[in-house]
Amino acid sequence: MRPINLLILGASLAAAPLGAQPTIATPRDSAIHVLNRLAYGATPGLVDRIAREGVMRWIDRQLAVTTVDDPGLGGVLARFELLRTSQEKLARSYFEVQRERRADRRQAAADSAMNTMSPEERQQRMPPEARALRGLIAQAPQLVMVRAVASDHQLAEVMADFWTNHFNIFIGKNVARVYLPSYVEETIRPRIFGRFEDLLVATAESPAMMVYLDNAQSIMPGARPDRGALAGRRRRAMVLEERRPTGLNENYARELMELHTLGVDGGYTQKDVTEVARILTGWSVARPAQGSGFVYNGWAHDRGEKTVLGAEFPSGHGKDEGMRLLGMLAAHPSTAHYISGKLCARFVSDAPPDGCVDNAVGAWKRSGGELREILRAIFHSPDFWAQANRSAKVKSPLEFVVSAVRAVGGAPDTTPRLAGAVGRLGQPLYQHTAPNGYPEHEKDWVNSGALLNRMNFAMQLAANRLPGVTVDLDRLLPATADHAALVDAVDRLVLGGKMTPRTRSVITEQIASITDPAQARAVALGLAIGGPEFQKQ
Amino acid sequence: MTISRRIFVRAGALGLVSFGLDPLFLSRAAYAATRPAALPPSRRTLVCLFQRGAVDGLSMIVPHGEEQYYRERPRIAIPRSSVVDLDGHFGLHPRLAPLKPFWDAGSLAVVPAVGSPDGTRSHFDAQDYMESGTPGVKSTTDGWANRYCQNAREHTDTPFRAVAFGPQLPRIMAGTAPALAIDDLRSFGLGGRSGNSDRLSRAFESLYEGSATGLLATSAEESFEAIRMLKTANPSARSAEHGAAYPRGRLGDSLQQIAQLIKAGLGLEIAFADMGGWDTHVNQGNEQGQLSLRLAELGQALAAFATDLGDGMRDVCVLTMSEFGRTIRENGTGGTDHGHGTAMLVLGGTVAGKQVAGRWPGLGAEARYEGRDVAVTTDFRDLFGEILTRHLGARDLTAVFPGYVAGKAPGVISA
Repeated sequence: MRPINLLILGASLAAAPLGAQPTIATPRDSAIHVLNRLAYGATPGLVDRIAREGVMRWIDRQLAVTTVDDPGLGGVLARFELLRTSQEKLARSYFEVQRERRADRRQAAADSAMNTMSPEERQQRMPPEARALRGLIAQAPQLVMVRAVASDHQLAEVMADFWTNHFNIFIGKNVARVYLPSYVEETIRPRIFGRFEDLLVATAESPAMMVYLDNAQSIMPGARPDRGALAGRRRRAMVLEERRPTGLNENYARELMELHTLGVDGGYTQKDVTEVARILTGWSVARPAQGSGFVYNGWAHDRGEKTVLGAEFPSGHGKDEGMRLLGMLAAHPSTAHYISGKLCARFVSDAPPDGCVDNAVGAWKRSGGELREILRAIFHSPDFWAQANRSAKVKSPLEFVVSAVRAVGGAPDTTPRLAGAVGRLGQPLYQHTAPNGYPEHEKDWVNSGALLNRMNFAMQLAANRLPGVTVDLDRLLPATADHAALVDAVDRLVLGGKMTPRTRSVITEQIASITDPAQARAVALGLAIGGPEFQKQ
Repeated sequence: MTISRRIFVRAGALGLVSFGLDPLFLSRAAYAATRPAALPPSRRTLVCLFQRGAVDGLSMIVPHGEEQYYRERPRIAIPRSSVVDLDGHFGLHPRLAPLKPFWDAGSLAVVPAVGSPDGTRSHFDAQDYMESGTPGVKSTTDGWANRYCQNAREHTDTPFRAVAFGPQLPRIMAGTAPALAIDDLRSFGLGGRSGNSDRLSRAFESLYEGSATGLLATSAEESFEAIRMLKTANPSARSAEHGAAYPRGRLGDSLQQIAQLIKAGLGLEIAFADMGGWDTHVNQGNEQGQLSLRLAELGQALAAFATDLGDGMRDVCVLTMSEFGRTIRENGTGGTDHGHGTAMLVLGGTVAGKQVAGRWPGLGAEARYEGRDVAVTTDFRDLFGEILTRHLGARDLTAVFPGYVAGKAPGVISA
């Protein structure tokens, strides 16, 4: 059994690199393909609408979006209090909660009853402010879900996900959680179709990144704030400040080159990492009393001369040399190549073909890193349309969950439950701890436990028992005793009418003995969503 | 130095990709093709238990022979009178007393000053390093337990070769080798505990048999194989033996289910469970108090596990780990802050027990790490590496702990 499978697979693998086969794609096929890659899948009727409009015209419209948020989503987004809460307010409330917690601890030190409480019990005794803050932050991943499911600016949402993942932040790292919402809303989202350099600079000037990768603590060895900078602070705070350990922290410097720009093979050395860290000393975060925003501390900056990738940075400079460095990294050919490869892996193939990467790099050079033009080049690349690359990528858990909910016209509520489902499938949003972000390759998503979880998710959704999502199945897929008609309708809804004969026969066979039409519908729909074809895009 | 190491690691994986073939697919295909000829699954099991939040090693394995210990901790030291003495210098926390019989029987060893060569005091970074197995290197994508499975190919894979108990696969098991995250054995599979799970399994299985290709097909096959194996072996039906009493809670549940998997003979080679609540900045307590409650749960769970398995412990090794230790001196709120070296326990039939392993640096000012913490005299990779090599039979650790130059093995495994 296995050897036969392998032979067939071997043949198709060998054929793949030969490129586009002369299969004629219909406008509907092309619409399905762009909805799989530039969007989170089709909603009911969308394939036909795009096929009628013209696929290239639809792509141009997606690229021409000027506001990231779909205006049609206004009403839904208004229900997210997080969007109305400033970073400053979140930070203030975070530090207030921390202060209370410390006071509680002092209190507890004198109160022996606290000694015997378990962490769970103490959690339940969490003060209302702490609980409110936690609830607000929990809206961040759910916002991703609501936008991805319902926005008509689908490519914008895909790119927002791509760039927040490229410039990954882990929400669980200390104060990073209060910076994350503004990082997403103000740092990343407004710049997804702009110049790469602007996006890079914005992330470098974000408190979230400075805290997450420890640059906020990177101080020229031995440097001390001058008295002026400490004026007005309490004596204790001043003493603490004087004792603050100093020294370079290379975390951000290293990831800036390895993950954000040049790529690991981009041609830099450990010496370059140290020099970049020196250039970025002083890029930090302001104290809570001063709004907790990004700050450049001149006193912490190393003003000596440095050399990065052979370029000299003369002594006596401040923040300006950091800006020069970011510009240099953004314009470096390794950066164009590395990020083009990542974009092609997302849009074209897990192993992106050279031709497509070259097209993207060409657009990068011509446009000076205009992300919109780079995307356009990818979407016009023959590799993007090649038959071998269609339905060839496995969906990530986020893509799977969102596309399933979209397929059945579901509407998520504002509770974190749908985001929780993505987490249970292995991709908890904003919780990837390492700075490299979630991976793009199928090997990272396909394993036996994860696959069973996807099947269970599909059955729950198809039975309309998925918490946090409303589905009107009776409208979209009326229960019927006519099984052939039912399977046809499921095929149209979930697989764009491309269900394989084998899948059709298995589903038909499975529902044959079910007399209750609603149950037959749930089984047919669940098998289609949890089956192999819907795992692909 | 760091960089060249990372380039090496990545280049290794990319090298295969550049042939246009997916190394994982090939390797899984290779498993399938060679399955009948391969050796049977390993009979040995390693159980890793992560104490998240940094356990105070000095309360777990108490250096009661050291005056300095009592001077530094006037409120939270464990009084000599209640320590369960091990060797005249060290003793167990009184709540770990259920482990004393295993010490006496020679199947428990303690390593009192083990940890990471990296000095971070961030829980997040230190846990990450201990699970990735690459201290100081942040962008390692997989965990060391998974890399062990990727590289130690002498045993056949069963779907239960690497199992983590919890809702998600932890970092330590992330990677290209198959690994299962199981929240609860009793509801593993399709349709939860509902009546129609068999029918659903059959339906999905025929769907994937007919239409899936590549990795989707092999993974689906593994899934349904796992479901079938569980159904046949029915490990959940095995109740605790020899009078073992697991404590209530997640840790006891996880260890009991690990014991069930081992008894069912499903090929479990590496199991993982974790427990939180160790970050005791305030009111840590001594023989009473919050830390003592966590230790009581740990002691009871480990003792129940070893009792339950009985003779089966012959092939099992349990290793506790925690991201770092805590300050030697108690702080102003009756607790301890983030430190460096900590203690780990090694329990099982292959363990060279009844010994305090690794060099003890002492608590004196000159011996401390950064003047405040227990120094690390055993790199955690020296300990983990020895267990992988001598307990599980790993032949080569270079891929499991990339960039690591083997140090002195603490000598905790006897056979």
